[in-house]
Amino acid sequence: MSDIKCSHCKLEFHESVLIKEEPSLYFCCKGCQGVYHLLKEDGLDAFYDKMRNDTIAPPIESENDTSNFDLESFKQRYIKTDENGFSRVDLVIEGIHCAACVWLNEKVINQTEGVLEASINFSNNKAKVVWDEDTVKLSHIIDKIRSVGYNAYPYDYSDATEKSVEAKRDYITRVGVAIFGTMNIMMIGVAKYAGYFSGMDAEVLHMIHVVEFIFSSMVLFYSGWVFFKGAYYGLKNKIVNMDLLVSGGATITYIYSLTILFGAQGQSYFDSVAMIIMFVLVGKYLEVLGKKSAMDSMDKMKNQIPLEATVVKDGVKSVLMLDQINVGDIIEVKNGEKASVDGQSIVELATFDESSLSGESLPVEKRQGDTVLSGTINIGKVMRYKASKNYANSTFNTMMNLLEDSLASKPKIEEMTNRLSKHFSLLIILLAMFSFVAWYFYSGDFEKSLIITISVIVIACPCALALATPIASLVGISWATEKGLLFKEAKFIETFAQATTVVVDKTGTITEGKLKVKKQIVKGGSEDNESLSDENLALLFALADASVHPVSKAIKKYLLETGREIEPKALENIEQVSAQGLEADFGAKKILGGNAKLMEAHNISVDQSESTIYHFAIDGVLLSTFELEDSIKEDVDTLVSYFKANDIELIMATGDNAFVANKVAKEVGIEDVRAEMSPVDKAELITKLQKEEKKVVMIGDGINDTLALSRSDIAIAMGSGADVALAMSDVVVLNNSLEGIKDSFLISRRTYKFIKQNLMISLVYNLLTIPIAIAGYVMPLVAALSMSLSSLLVVANSMRIKNINKK
Amino acid sequence: MNEVLQLELIVGVVVTFVLIMIFVASAKKGNFDDQKKMMDGMLFDSPDDLRAAAEQEAKQEEMIAKKKEKQNSTD
Repeated sequence: MSDIKCSHCKLEFHESVLIKEEPSLYFCCKGCQGVYHLLKEDGLDAFYDKMRNDTIAPPIESENDTSNFDLESFKQRYIKTDENGFSRVDLVIEGIHCAACVWLNEKVINQTEGVLEASINFSNNKAKVVWDEDTVKLSHIIDKIRSVGYNAYPYDYSDATEKSVEAKRDYITRVGVAIFGTMNIMMIGVAKYAGYFSGMDAEVLHMIHVVEFIFSSMVLFYSGWVFFKGAYYGLKNKIVNMDLLVSGGATITYIYSLTILFGAQGQSYFDSVAMIIMFVLVGKYLEVLGKKSAMDSMDKMKNQIPLEATVVKDGVKSVLMLDQINVGDIIEVKNGEKASVDGQSIVELATFDESSLSGESLPVEKRQGDTVLSGTINIGKVMRYKASKNYANSTFNTMMNLLEDSLASKPKIEEMTNRLSKHFSLLIILLAMFSFVAWYFYSGDFEKSLIITISVIVIACPCALALATPIASLVGISWATEKGLLFKEAKFIETFAQATTVVVDKTGTITEGKLKVKKQIVKGGSEDNESLSDENLALLFALADASVHPVSKAIKKYLLETGREIEPKALENIEQVSAQGLEADFGAKKILGGNAKLMEAHNISVDQSESTIYHFAIDGVLLSTFELEDSIKEDVDTLVSYFKANDIELIMATGDNAFVANKVAKEVGIEDVRAEMSPVDKAELITKLQKEEKKVVMIGDGINDTLALSRSDIAIAMGSGADVALAMSDVVVLNNSLEGIKDSFLISRRTYKFIKQNLMISLVYNLLTIPIAIAGYVMPLVAALSMSLSSLLVVANSMRIKNINKK
Repeated sequence: MNEVLQLELIVGVVVTFVLIMIFVASAKKGNFDDQKKMMDGMLFDSPDDLRAAAEQEAKQEEMIAKKKEKQNSTD
């Protein structure tokens, strides 16, 4: 039997585990089967054409009642009414993967009677839904979304979101106008420069200058307004910033070009004005996009917490919104649900997956009185706990607030060119003024003095200086991209190259972050699953399939990978034994799968071990034992030895227990280990290291690392990490390899070396040419050519960065 | 000859300005908020999708008119 694609989600599965329908339909689960037929019935099967080669996750099965969406408290918080009396809500749609998902959800919502408008933003999965409350309830719309396998949560369309949307629109407009203007100037420029060499009527040249003047004025004063504003606020605070240089440089060039337009001899530089503004503005726009995407990820993460919780009062269960939960309330959490507020367990034993908060890869047992943290998932039986904090003060919300603060206050690294240009531009302005005054008093010729002054400004225009960093960074970044490394901003290269300390997370970074079967021992000591009969293998698979526990998932995956044919078996009376495993019946047989405690409870003797062990027994007879581990990534040795060879301090900070942390650290050769660290502890460690004057790089991938990532000088996230970790990071290792981290160090160090070389080239050029210009030996046109030559020199030098590969 | 060039340049400037005004108005309205979706739409939207979008707009106008009528009658 071979692997076959599910007819709905297009994921490939072994034929034996698929639900088959005649003539040739295959489904991986009931959810996919249901959605497939629903789409066919509603005439929405064009969805599968639009999916093309994409795959989607199987439908999300949500058992939560949607009636809460119609509660008055919900309406007050999330629903707005527009001027026509329609209701509007902003939702995050869970499960959207591709354009086809967006199409399907928009179709389904728009087809609902009473819906005026549904529009989904593909980049952040946010939907705006406008509907008539008199015709349809919001709960019905949510039910519709759920019926096709997705889920929806509301989100607060806050003032901050509104502002970031407006800022983005403003930048799109300004960038668009700059591109329009510059493109037109460049097209006209072709005619102008052709005429320069072949001869052109003065009247035609003047007309071209007029058109260039119109477009460059538009670009300078509309698109470039942000720089004038920035320069004004900079000067108000006595700071000579990059905005002042950009606006100042562009304005001087513009004024000089105006003199040409109104009759002076020489070349106009209206095209340069437009290009300077456009290029720098595009860079600023990318920065705004980055910030917005980080905010979107935060919204997505906030909605991982359920909207409501089941509260038990005097034996009566009621579903309350999170802000209605008080300290002391008893909260019930079902299997697979998340705890919404912090509290203390009141049941004898429960099991929680805390990986999203602490990074702890193994499930954590919670005994009576133990703390249950908001955001963690109950992976055992239904449990109850007493709320010790309200939602606002609970761990998850506190972490979100801290993250928002650090996003807003993350210090900007002052760019090296900005620091140099600050003094350099002041010096040039003074020298130009000096040249004008000296020449005017010496020759008494105003025009000549102006021409020399312009030559000084043009020849000293810090183009090469301004190019020195970005062009080298561009080459470095494109080289990094080829190697699967994404540097979000060029300036991170400088900081990265100066890094002295690396703090690395364990789960998902050093280790794979997923449990894997290391060894299987079948009864009799054989390490070969062939010894397990087909029927017993099928029963073991059915038992593992019945649980979402990471150990069960690993067993299931291992069995599928063995390639043996597995006949589906329907188990009965499946019961989850908290922190122990699963029990089930198959006919008269009693099936057990779990740890040593479960076996002992059924009088089956097993060997004790500190590793993660899963035993499988039928009717009191142990049939097979599995040893599981979170395997260490293959290329970790290369990375550790690179850090050691380059005197970079390496610290492993993990939420895991000391035993696991030390075991892994010893295996990979890391000496400094910090175990059982909460997200806040990790962030404090970063701050402490920074206070010791160290440049700290943090490498992580989970939600638990985001706070530390946001505090570090450079944050590296693995590409498979949580959305928010990716948003908070400065560098993303797309291929998840540790070799990639080593490459990022190599590339940034080499690029930084070339940035320094480029700066030296441009400074030497200016030192040589400025005195000649002041002496009056350079005409503005020659000055412009010379300036271009220095820029070319810097570009050519930067191209050498990648030459290391050829050696 | 120069008059022809002059006319061409004037027409070029006017057309560009009109296009820029259209672009600015649509950007302020939010048409470019989701660039990915816009690009996908340009590439993959079928005639059926465009027809559905037109029908949706007609439905919206009808709903708004009905709602206003209802509001007026209650007033």
